[in-house]
Formats: sequence, C-alpha cells, structure tokens
Amino acid sequence: MPKRPRRILRRRWATTEGWRGTRAGMWAWLVQRAAAIALLAVIVLHVRTPYWRGVQMTLLALVLAHGLLGARAIVLDFGLPVRWHRLLLVIAVALAAVIFAAVWGWRWS
Amino acid sequence: MVLKVFRWSPGFRERIQRFWVPAKEGMTVLDALVDAQRRLDSTLAFRYACRVGMCGSCGMVINGRERWACRTLLKSLKTRIVTVRPLYHFPLIRDLVVDLAPLAEQAARVGAAFVPKEEPAAFAQVGADALERQRIDPAIECIGCGMCVSACTMVANDERFPGPAALNRLFTLDTDRRDAGHADRAAVLLSEDTLMRCHTQANCTDVCPMEISPTASILALRRRAVRGLLG
Repeated sequence: MPKRPRRILRRRWATTEGWRGTRAGMWAWLVQRAAAIALLAVIVLHVRTPYWRGVQMTLLALVLAHGLLGARAIVLDFGLPVRWHRLLLVIAVALAAVIFAAVWGWRWS
Repeated sequence: MVLKVFRWSPGFRERIQRFWVPAKEGMTVLDALVDAQRRLDSTLAFRYACRVGMCGSCGMVINGRERWACRTLLKSLKTRIVTVRPLYHFPLIRDLVVDLAPLAEQAARVGAAFVPKEEPAAFAQVGADALERQRIDPAIECIGCGMCVSACTMVANDERFPGPAALNRLFTLDTDRRDAGHADRAAVLLSEDTLMRCHTQANCTDVCPMEISPTASILALRRRAVRGLLG
C-alpha cells in the first residue's frame, strides 16, 4: 500500500485563527523585530530630515521599543525567572512610555 | 453553545463542523465533545483517557490556545462559540487526533535519553536538598502531551529544531551527575538549530499544563553551553 504524505497543521498567520491566542512573549518578540526593521527606514529618513519632529518622535519610540524589549530578553537570558516574562514586558512598555513622555515634555512641548 | 470542530481524515478535505451542544454547569470541553460524538456524530475522532488532567491525552487547540480539554471548563472560555482544532506541528491522524511519535523521535535525535556510567553505583542517591535535585525537580513532570511543541513558533519554522519537550528532557539529564552523556550532547546543543534557535517567546511555558518552563530549561542549557565555550 503506498504511503500517504504526512499532513501537519501549522498556524496560518494570514487568518484570524492563526493569531488567536497569541501570547505576551510572542508579541514582545514580534514588536522588537518589527521595530528593528522600521528603525532602518526611519534612521535613513532622520538623516535626510534631521529637524522634522514627526521623524524624531518616531525614531525615539522605535529606539525605546527595540532597546527595552531587547533588555527584557537579555535579563531573561541571564537567568531572571521566565515566569516573570509578562511582568517584564509590562515594565518595558511602561518605562518606554515614561521616557517618551519625559523627552516630549523636555524637548517638544 | 456552538462547538466548531476541525474535521479531516485521509483522502478528504478539511472542514469545520458545527455542533450545537447544551452547556451545563461544570461542563468541560471534553464533556461537550463526548456529547457531540454520542448524540450527533459518532465518527468524530478525538483522544482522551484519564479525564482528570493527569495523562495529557486530550491536548488540543481550544479557541486558539493549547489546553487540555478535560480541564477546560466551557464557562472559563467566556464565549458561546468554542473552536477546537488538533495540536499544531504533529502529523494528523484524523479529526482532533495527532501522532505524538515526533516527541520521542526528536528526543532520541538529540540524545535526550539517560546514559549510564560504566560502573554505576549500586544505588545512586541524590538528596532532596541537593542543589542538583532542586534544579531538576521543576522540569521532570512532563507528561508528553505535546502542547509545548504545538505552541512553539520555532518548531513551525525549523524542522531541525528539537522543540521544547526534548530540550527540557535534555536539561534534566544534563543536570544529573549520574548521567554519562553530557560530553556527547555538547556538539548537538551548540549546533545552529538547537539552543540558539529558541527566541524566548515562552509560548511553551505559557501553555504547559504541568507548569513546567521549557524556556527556563533551554536558557539554563544555553548559559551552561556559553560558559563551556568561554572555559
């Protein structure tokens, strides 16, 4: 009897079902990677138009997202309990918001 | 309530079948599936055994997340529509039943099996208060349900990545001084598709019904491997 090919299901990311149940750690990873790619474009834009406030703000937001989520990954690498990973995400986002607001108040308000 | 169940069998196209099941107080997803099978469609295939959250046979993807059907109360899902799919990343057998053989195959491939020393002690004791024991203990309760492998996005993208279950088992062995296979596994652990492939998304940790953290085991192995490289 001929052997049938194996059928293995994978999440289909183009469907809502594929994203359903996506968890905090996945979002943290995804946002950090997306911020890295976006940074490449925004840095080029920033070099061309250094005084355009919209680009400055976007650049700061991306740097904070990428850097603080990277710091979250590093502290987990160094042995902080993995059970804290959601708390670390909340801390990273809160810290990013505070720094962004502080820079906004200092430079842009 | 409406149960939307993934249906597939060899030679037929996949589809989602809807079952209307009367939800009762204390009813679990497994109860609803059994009810649908007995009253509405006896060809519906799913796996279960203990029904009390011990064996892990009923692991499936319920409303997008890996859970065991016998311990998931319908009430806890907070919706009248429940979607049930088989675990991802395992060969489908039929409907909600998958072949869990890859769990053992991946473990064997990375050498996640105990290697006895040539002259083992008659009875090698590791005390309950030993640091080694305390490190291993949180990682030994794996029941082989496969939910961590289903939740792992890296397994989906790299077939050579052994997955959280195999690496968690490997961690317990690599921490055990009675095991003689540490040196042989070093090359496997440092290969491109093993420890370094984990992206610390902790999906496996989030879904493990035994509250094991394979992510923590992988990170511990990674730290150990890096220390080994640095001397």
